[in-house]
Amino acid sequence: MDAALKRRLQDRFGAQLIAPIQQRHDETEIRIGAGDVPDVCRALHDEPAFGFILLADLAGVDTGDVMQVVYHLWSETTTDWLRVVADGLSREDPRVPSITFLWKGAEWMEREAYDMFGIAFEGNRDLRRIYMPPDYQSFPLRKDFFLPDDAARSPGAGVRHMEQSHAPTNARAATMIRKSRA
Amino acid sequence: MTTATPHVHPRQEVPSDDPRVQLDEAVGVFEPIPPYPPRTERESEFYTLGDGEMYINMGPQHPSTHGVLRIVLKLDGEQVVDLDPVLGYLHRGVEKLCENADYHHTIAYLDPLEYISSLFCEWPGVLAFEKLLDVEVPRRAEYIRVLSTELNRILSHSLFMGWMALDLGGLTPILWSFIERDEIAEMLAALTGQRLLFNYLRIGGVNGDLNHEFLSRLGDWMSRATHQIENNLGLLNQNEIFVRRMRGLGVLDKETAFRMAVTGPNLRASGVPLDFRRAHPYSVFTELEFDIPTRDEGDCLARYLVRIDEIKQSLRIIDQCLHNMPDGPIMAKLPRLLRPRPGRAYAAVEGPRGQYAAYVVSDGTDQPFRMRIHDPSFVHLQSVGVLMPGHLIADAMAVMASLDPIMGGVDK
Repeated sequence: MDAALKRRLQDRFGAQLIAPIQQRHDETEIRIGAGDVPDVCRALHDEPAFGFILLADLAGVDTGDVMQVVYHLWSETTTDWLRVVADGLSREDPRVPSITFLWKGAEWMEREAYDMFGIAFEGNRDLRRIYMPPDYQSFPLRKDFFLPDDAARSPGAGVRHMEQSHAPTNARAATMIRKSRA
Repeated sequence: MTTATPHVHPRQEVPSDDPRVQLDEAVGVFEPIPPYPPRTERESEFYTLGDGEMYINMGPQHPSTHGVLRIVLKLDGEQVVDLDPVLGYLHRGVEKLCENADYHHTIAYLDPLEYISSLFCEWPGVLAFEKLLDVEVPRRAEYIRVLSTELNRILSHSLFMGWMALDLGGLTPILWSFIERDEIAEMLAALTGQRLLFNYLRIGGVNGDLNHEFLSRLGDWMSRATHQIENNLGLLNQNEIFVRRMRGLGVLDKETAFRMAVTGPNLRASGVPLDFRRAHPYSVFTELEFDIPTRDEGDCLARYLVRIDEIKQSLRIIDQCLHNMPDGPIMAKLPRLLRPRPGRAYAAVEGPRGQYAAYVVSDGTDQPFRMRIHDPSFVHLQSVGVLMPGHLIADAMAVMASLDPIMGGVDK
């Protein structure tokens, strides 16, 4: 845990944080709104006090209530991994600005998150499916997509066909989706 | 007298109260075809032909694509103008499977991601689970992990040497490097029980202690490893065709490498001494001595030579592990059923290709809520699109081979 990093982040991004900074093991986590992603990432990348030059990972997360996009960054100014969580994306229409203007390598990671969660990265000039076929309709890693052989986790629903529309009218009852408060 | 009536069978009425046969709407023979999504900006740019250009499909069964990869090449004569890799032929949905598996079970799903360096795929997952559970791993287990993974690194790199030459048209080196690879595979089989997918690391330790067969094989091999690897190198490093062709090919400079999120030997070949064993130490790497080989050129030859130097450093680490191996247990005391408290953990290790990482979200049940797997091959394959344009088709394959992607990891 890097207490100095926490102070620096608090001073610089205090207005944009939507939750207190959390630290555990060698990880520091900040939570921001989806609209602040380009500004915060640019500051983290460009300002020498932070110098997070390496995008270690980009992941989509479906918590069951909202969508998140999670960025992991590395810098030699700190001994911690920095986790930037773009929180509170709506499940019906998740949208977040792209960070391909900073890291072109994020392009495929964003395509993957789009393919698996349906998160639209605005500004990514190649946002199409990467693993699934282009005419595939659903988003496999969303929590309302159940494995067909996983009848135990879908009470009453039994076995469903692999591909299902993600339209809100067709969405499963909210109680059936596995959720996390994390 | 009875009148003859035609013998008519009454039509069998289907009982209509059976819910299984009741349909709300008629089922057509043809399902409506879902609309094909509109082309993205980049896609329409790629699929517009300039003067004298043509497309060629390379793969998915092409031998030099390192697995099942299809690349649509846009060519101007023999020169690659642009390319569009098409993935997904090997997609197994490992992340989804992990969300529906027990924490212990997950390790077996992580294994086949990269079938050349399986131990490196298991490690970040296991590390992340240990962070969630706040487990202290016994020191002997840590040393065994380092020992076995460094062996796996040599296995991967020696196979890389062969593949690299094979993609440039030389057949002999792959036969030679398979000798090396097979010896290590046999060694790890004695330790883990498997030759390819080891499934060896456990949450809180490793599956089995060092045994006599493994140690005797390792000691035997270590005594001649340096000599043997030098022999193999002579085949390539003194080969004029190989060296001349690789030099100055597919140059990746430092800024582009960071912009493309490249890690591992490919980044170190561009002159950045970034190795997560030093930059972000995990396990017992703080206690071990080794150098981080770098090259400044950033071309295919540099990427090849960095990996050769890494083999030598791995031998150094293995030597230290054998000399400093502590006694003690190889597993932490943990319950069979793991239920970590809700939380998030990220762990990364330095593999033979770059940064392998896992981001795990726990919701307090015995299954991970979200398991994100980051694989370096995926990122490196993307930078092929930056490096290839301008090269000849034959050289393009060499560029791809020098980045060393494994399709199992790319497609997850």
